[in-house]
Amino acid sequence: MSGAVQTALASPAGPARRAVRDPLIASLVGLCLAAAAVLVVASPAPYLVNALGQLAAFAILAVSLDLVWGYLGILSLGHGLFFAIGGYVCAMHLLADGVAATGVLPDFVQFMGWKSLPAYWAGLDHSAYAFVLALALAGLVAFVFGLASFRSRVNGVYFSIISQALVYVAMLLMYRNDTGLGGNNGMTGFPLLFGWPMGSPGAITGLAVAALLMLAAVLAGTRLLIGSAVGRRMLACRDDETRLRTLGYSTTRLKLGIWCLSAMIAALAGILYVPQVGIINPRVLAPDLSIEIAVWVAIGGLGRLGGAVIGAILVNGLKFWLSAAMPEAWPFILSGLVLLVVLVLPNGLLDLVALRPRPTWLRGAR
Amino acid sequence: MIDALTVAFGRFTALESVSLAVDAGEVRAVIGPNGAGKTTLLDVISGITKPVSGRVMLGDRIDLTQSSEAEIAKAGVRRKFQKPSVFPALTVRENLEIGCGPALPARDRPNRIASVLGEIGLGPRTEVLAGSLAHGEKQWLEIGMVLAAEPALLLLDEPVAGLSDSETAHTAALIRALRRPDRAILVIEHDMGFVEAIADRVTVLHEGRTLYEGSMAGARGDARVIEVFLGR
Amino acid sequence: MADPKRSLLRAVLALCWLGLWAVPSSAAAFDRAAFAQDLCGDGAAQVRGAEDLVKAGGVLPADDLAYAGRLLGALAERRLTCPADGALLLDRPGAPEGHDALTSAVRPVADARAPVLGLRQRAAVETARGVVALLTGPDPATRGAGLSVVERRVATVPAAVLDRARDAETDAGLKATIAGLAQAAALSSPDPARRRAAIAAVAASPSGAAEARLTALKSDPAYTADPAFRAALDAGLSRVTRAVTIGDGLAVLYNGLSFASILFMAAAGLAIIFGLMGVINLAQGEFIMLGAYATYGVQEAFRRLAPGLLDLYLVAAIPVAFLAVALVGIVVEALILRHLYRRPLMSLLATWAVSLFLVNLVRVTVGTQNLQFIMPAYVSGGVPLYADFVVTWNRLFAIGFAAATVVLTLLILRRTPLGLDIRAVTQNRDMAACLGLPTRRVDRLAFGLGSGLAGLAGVALCPIYSVNPGMGSGFIVDSFMVVVLGGVGSLLGTLVAALGIGGANVLIEPISGAVAAKVIVLVGIILFLQRRPEGLFAVRRRR
Repeated sequence: MSGAVQTALASPAGPARRAVRDPLIASLVGLCLAAAAVLVVASPAPYLVNALGQLAAFAILAVSLDLVWGYLGILSLGHGLFFAIGGYVCAMHLLADGVAATGVLPDFVQFMGWKSLPAYWAGLDHSAYAFVLALALAGLVAFVFGLASFRSRVNGVYFSIISQALVYVAMLLMYRNDTGLGGNNGMTGFPLLFGWPMGSPGAITGLAVAALLMLAAVLAGTRLLIGSAVGRRMLACRDDETRLRTLGYSTTRLKLGIWCLSAMIAALAGILYVPQVGIINPRVLAPDLSIEIAVWVAIGGLGRLGGAVIGAILVNGLKFWLSAAMPEAWPFILSGLVLLVVLVLPNGLLDLVALRPRPTWLRGAR
Repeated sequence: MIDALTVAFGRFTALESVSLAVDAGEVRAVIGPNGAGKTTLLDVISGITKPVSGRVMLGDRIDLTQSSEAEIAKAGVRRKFQKPSVFPALTVRENLEIGCGPALPARDRPNRIASVLGEIGLGPRTEVLAGSLAHGEKQWLEIGMVLAAEPALLLLDEPVAGLSDSETAHTAALIRALRRPDRAILVIEHDMGFVEAIADRVTVLHEGRTLYEGSMAGARGDARVIEVFLGR
Repeated sequence: MADPKRSLLRAVLALCWLGLWAVPSSAAAFDRAAFAQDLCGDGAAQVRGAEDLVKAGGVLPADDLAYAGRLLGALAERRLTCPADGALLLDRPGAPEGHDALTSAVRPVADARAPVLGLRQRAAVETARGVVALLTGPDPATRGAGLSVVERRVATVPAAVLDRARDAETDAGLKATIAGLAQAAALSSPDPARRRAAIAAVAASPSGAAEARLTALKSDPAYTADPAFRAALDAGLSRVTRAVTIGDGLAVLYNGLSFASILFMAAAGLAIIFGLMGVINLAQGEFIMLGAYATYGVQEAFRRLAPGLLDLYLVAAIPVAFLAVALVGIVVEALILRHLYRRPLMSLLATWAVSLFLVNLVRVTVGTQNLQFIMPAYVSGGVPLYADFVVTWNRLFAIGFAAATVVLTLLILRRTPLGLDIRAVTQNRDMAACLGLPTRRVDRLAFGLGSGLAGLAGVALCPIYSVNPGMGSGFIVDSFMVVVLGGVGSLLGTLVAALGIGGANVLIEPISGAVAAKVIVLVGIILFLQRRPEGLFAVRRRR
């Protein structure tokens, strides 16, 4: 792969060719499709299938952050918020669907002593509506927050800090038990998925396949975006926003649009994640978790979409494996890994692959 | 046209009641020692800084001090920054394409890019990533970027800083060739030889005030100017 | 000349007249024999004796009370027998001989009638016994038991008894209870004058409890019936309410000030580091935690090596925590951060990794339990200042500490060469480097200073907050908000922002809850940044 990367670097190919040729992305997309096919045809252990599906969801989340961080220079330490929005709406749909099918109210409703689901749950048993609502809500929250920040030129570390505060406050709000969203226990016990019982091998495989296909689609889509004129403008904005602005472009509009898109992709990841783990609770809104997303991206390779995927899969795969084998050691390994990447491999693990450190400004060009 | 412009940062007055007028088709150099307020002047014109009082008129109708950065850019003001500000992750061609601006329709772009490439002389380097250009090439690229939108007012902030003599000469020729009857060019520089080569008139700023305005030769002979520049 | 003599005569007569009143009360010598006779008498006599005792309880000498108590007890337990003269106290019911009540001589029981304590008399006798127990009981338990008995029929007990009991009481808790009962009795006394006096007394020492008590009286029928009563109650109530409001306001301010002090100390280091190096130190919370743990270490060291001086551990911890955490900070800077020069986002991730490492290091080595701290006398308790407002020493410690930190930091920044270097590099790093300032060394020392400040914050909050490995995360977000609001690199900005945010939090919390307070504060900050993105007092840099 390193040879291919170097070739792409040095080749005098025109812009049209470059938009399509990206060996890393192409191979990742192919890998996803192949894995999906394998899952359908062969029947590996459900535990592994489920793990793979979760990894795919995390990879989508990482891509969403890389989109705004690697290509626009906006480090959001609160992307967990959009992930959670998608997850919560999905959970609400699954529960509402279950209520409609079985007539049994979920635990947390009975716990609060209510007779039925709160009013704003109406319509959530329709999957199309729930899907659109999840994405729209994430986009709306992103829009409001982004507008307030970008218009007043809040950038860089300030933005990161405020995004942390935002997700922290959201977590506090979700811990309250009277919101009708499960409180500190969250929501769990999803009975059905499109008519299939949750936890059945068919459901698990279906979810994992869906996640992999979504990952492939997101990768392909974002790659096309990056290769287009908009993508070039994003790079320009990242490297010198003032310059771009004084050339007559509205950087606020550009940032806002991509920011909302990223939020919606993160929500999509949440939608895919929650049915696979069977629960959502306010812990996904922990500020630390949002920072971890940035860690995945940084480790894999900031500004390379493929790197984000690799980082997410690597770190979370390690976490899955080590949490069972050596739970005490995991935080130390993670912090060591982060320090290693930050100090030695500034462009992430993909530097290792190319076998030579590349200048920082070069990221995102391919 | 700049009218009685006063700019202050906290207690520090950068510009005090500065007035000057640049005609279309003219190349005006603004010179002066460091801290004289030259960059501040450009900041005000391009909308980055707002003045305490005074105004800047583009033509007869547009007051730049009342406009946003975007409006100023749309009005045809382009600035080349002191530090070469190109987009390192994009190729020369892509940089120029962005320089064309959002208003230019896509089909006209290749022609514009080609002509600018010719003017700045970076034809053979078209597909090179801007980050790997030499310092001088970056300066020319940036000039090309700001040219691509065919600006009415071109602000050049130290275009030959850090260039070798041959590069400086090349740049001087480039700027002379940029002259157009509907375009005004304002240049800030320290290199007196360069200034002499390109400027029609010269404005000398010192400690936020206009010290002298006129031809370069006259500036060389003016006693106050000599005093300020320590007998240069 | 007759006038002075006549007025003198009048004065003497008045004095005698007054004396006549005084004499009976002081000459209320207790007739022990008559008391014994009453108890030996019929039901009416028993009640009379008991009630007289209760009425005089406020002034009777202690041994008279004890005597009466013995007799009453014997009566209640059927150990009292009444021969023709006097009374006999038996050791147990039906004993053949007993002690004479007055002389204590032993006498056989002969021709002695045992008085019966009927149901109707029992209440009065029990009350009298309760009064005796309350006034002469040897220990708080006995006296408390007596108080409970008295409480049941407090209307029959004169104020003097309760006042005497309260004044003589040594146990603080029991004293408060007696005082409360005395007050309640006075307030519902049938005597209007006594009630008004009681209202005034309650109003004189305002508190939330007093306010509640007076407000409850408003539903008393006397409120509508007796204008004097109503006037007194209204006046008293308004006075108490005003005082309570002021006291509550002071308490809010005080709490806000102490919270702001902690915030300031946590954020000051952050502001200096951020202003200087553009690094957001996500490990700042963990540095605070390390400071708290260092304090614990000092406490344990004192406990082992100098147990007599244990109370001083908190003071000794100040330099120790500062130096220890500053050292950790310098190590972090030297090993990690100096390679990340000019890469703020990567530095952020690096400090996050450091924070993760520190939390888990402490968790693995020391454990996840809350640390137990001894509260030295100078940070325990407090001084009630006004109404319900108590100036607690632990918060005052924090406030004083923060004030000292402000002064010290300002001194360092403005008077020492290092401070000058820091300010120079903050404002224009490149220029400072050109002038020969060792910017890397300044970075290192400043990072040490910032970390040390966090360590100090850790010391200050040991008496107030619980200490465990994960405590840092509670301060990080708030510290960030302070730095962002106050403006980067400005100590004054940090101070003002800490006061503002701390105050806002504490003010909103009682109204809408802690979560709403944080939300409102965050939204407020975002809105503020719309107008002034660089914060309150940003150090304005020239490009």
